[in-house]
Amino acid sequence: MDAEVDGILIAAHELKAPLAVLRQLALSFEGVGEKDERIRGEMVSVSERAIKQVNDLTKVRRLEDGLFTMEPVAVRPICDDVIKELSYLFRFNKRELFIKYSNRSQLVVANRELLRGVIYNFLLNAMHYSGAETRSELIVCDKSDHVRVSVRDYGPALPVDVWREMKRGFIEKPTSIAMRPGSSGLGLFIATRFSRYMNAEVGAVRHRDGTSFYVDLPKSRQASLF
Amino acid sequence: MIFVIDDDEIMAECIAGAIGKNAKIFSNAIEAMNEISAGELPDMIFLDILLDGPDGFTLLNELISYDDTAKIPIVIVTSLDLGDKDLSVYGVKKVLLKDEMTPNDIKNCVSEYAK
Repeated sequence: MDAEVDGILIAAHELKAPLAVLRQLALSFEGVGEKDERIRGEMVSVSERAIKQVNDLTKVRRLEDGLFTMEPVAVRPICDDVIKELSYLFRFNKRELFIKYSNRSQLVVANRELLRGVIYNFLLNAMHYSGAETRSELIVCDKSDHVRVSVRDYGPALPVDVWREMKRGFIEKPTSIAMRPGSSGLGLFIATRFSRYMNAEVGAVRHRDGTSFYVDLPKSRQASLF
Repeated sequence: MIFVIDDDEIMAECIAGAIGKNAKIFSNAIEAMNEISAGELPDMIFLDILLDGPDGFTLLNELISYDDTAKIPIVIVTSLDLGDKDLSVYGVKKVLLKDEMTPNDIKNCVSEYAK
């Protein structure tokens, strides 16, 4: 492990410790009223999201170690799992989440943990950038030899230079998305790194009223053996 | 008495708060070991790994080297990813991740493992 990787892992640990304390403090409050309960819930939720991003960042640095094995995995349960985790957040922020599964192929070749990270970051991104009272869409469909998991938001348009970078399949570093305020681009950076590791293609479609981010995952041939 | 050994004061207080009145906080391994040497054997220990001075593993080695301390149930409380390491030879009953555990997890450990 080189010095830079080592430094990032140490920094990640340093960041995680205070976030874990904040989360624990919020969980320690007992017997609070309804309004305070909402605040408490939000404190737990915000710290958990930040912890997750720190953990994902650590994973990005560990991809080089090849610790993540590829195997046939079912897409839908992973999507369901992420939706379940984020549904509170969508509700809390008054965002609607529309889900459509039209894929006949269930199994793709991926790493369960990394795929979960990609979908999580796409959805979090969509929730963050969709306007109030608008919806985000998670769509899973078949495309010839792969399965596409796509997340569409109705937020500001994706800057063309970021779109071009994504078209090349790679974002070199977290890039501030200028037209998407408050963004460091970290979630997108993590998602593209995870996707690249899984040999999955990642990309974005620009709409006049938002953006779709997608990952194309190779279908598993396992089912065809039966 | 249940020992909580963690150099993060607030985290230690959160853990102690979940345990209740029987908790005693130490900010490093030496303080805790001195207390044990003075004759106070805890019913169980919640132990952080990264500590000021000797780390959690040093304390674990110390504890298993004495007959009277070898059987103290230990719960590791850490932010480190310890993977699937089997720490049961050190008397470790459970590993709780600081970023995932809840006060109920701590209470459950106490009711399950405290002697």
